[in-house]
Amino acid sequence: MGSSQSTPKITPQDRAILDLKLQRDKLKQYQKKIQVILDREHQIAKTHLAAGDKDRAIIALRRRKYQQSLLLRTDEQLAKLEQLVSTIEFSLVEVSILHGLKQGNEVLKEIHREMSIESVEKLMEETQEAREYQREIGDLLANKLTLDEEDAVQAELKELQAAALEQGEPVLKDKLPSVPAEQPAVAETELQIPLRRDALRRVAVPE
Amino acid sequence: MELTTRTTPSDFLLPSIHSAPPFFTEQPAPSTRTLFIDNWSRLILAYARHRRLFTLRVEDAEVAGGDWDEILRNERINRRVLPSYLSSLIAALVANNVAVYEPAKQTRSVLLFWRLPEEWADVLHSWATASGQLNTILTFYEIIDPPVPSPLSGLPIPLLRRAIAVLTRSGRAQIIGVADGEGVRLFAGTK
Repeated sequence: MGSSQSTPKITPQDRAILDLKLQRDKLKQYQKKIQVILDREHQIAKTHLAAGDKDRAIIALRRRKYQQSLLLRTDEQLAKLEQLVSTIEFSLVEVSILHGLKQGNEVLKEIHREMSIESVEKLMEETQEAREYQREIGDLLANKLTLDEEDAVQAELKELQAAALEQGEPVLKDKLPSVPAEQPAVAETELQIPLRRDALRRVAVPE
Repeated sequence: MELTTRTTPSDFLLPSIHSAPPFFTEQPAPSTRTLFIDNWSRLILAYARHRRLFTLRVEDAEVAGGDWDEILRNERINRRVLPSYLSSLIAALVANNVAVYEPAKQTRSVLLFWRLPEEWADVLHSWATASGQLNTILTFYEIIDPPVPSPLSGLPIPLLRRAIAVLTRSGRAQIIGVADGEGVRLFAGTK
């Protein structure tokens, strides 16, 4: 079916993790059961004691102690299981990171192969040639013009530059806020007020 | 008798119709019967959502002291839903696809869908996404009894299975079975 193609295959690792997690769940359920027994034994001991049956109360408490030790042991096992599960899951993450790094490396290699030094050199050479060709054309065109015409061209260029400067400046003026001309006086007055109060207070105390 | 809404000890607001004695018996007139059954369906689902109850049994009308006493009984007007009426109410719920007989092949106990399996599927998926549990294998127990309470805490396994089945159909979940039990893996998916 179509859905089975999009979902990854179930690997033996997946099954192992699931097994561990199921074991962990069982331990958790077992702990719940022991907790219930603990509470019940406590209740039994209480009722026996109330009825004046001390021996039976002690037996119930002993049983309770034993269950308590079981609970402690399951705690340890649970911790071990959880640690194992996290270790496995973390290792899987590491594996996928390694895989990612490998692929990245491959891609980088591929890119480098296309960008070999010879081809870069060849490309630079071609660019140089093209630039020289352009200059030659420029020279040829320039030589066809008389000196007067060349002067006119330079003058027009200057005019254009000046116009661009004039147009450009007002735009900048509009956009940028101007720097405040005065000194920032607020901080000083704030500092002065408590000082003055202090002085006043100092006068007031001896009176 | 004046019909008013009333708040139960569990902070649930009972509709005014709940104080009407005829509401508790099956009505002979078809139009009244369907109206009452509609109201009962809404009331049962709202109460189930309020108390996070998932099963309703005919037995709940037979003996007092269950989870459903607050709505199946009204001591002030001395009325209660009889088992036979509850049975037909349950049948109506099943007919409207807001409940299924669970286990199948009997008609005394239903699993209530105050959220449809499709909605539970979305809840499950967003919980897994929010708690960063996509692509990891989860056991059913872990989903319905997580260390940190979630909207899925206490969800019955049959309902969880239906929700997972919805996700499986859209390629957002995968069931993994081993000898000891089952687990599920959720994916980001595209929807």
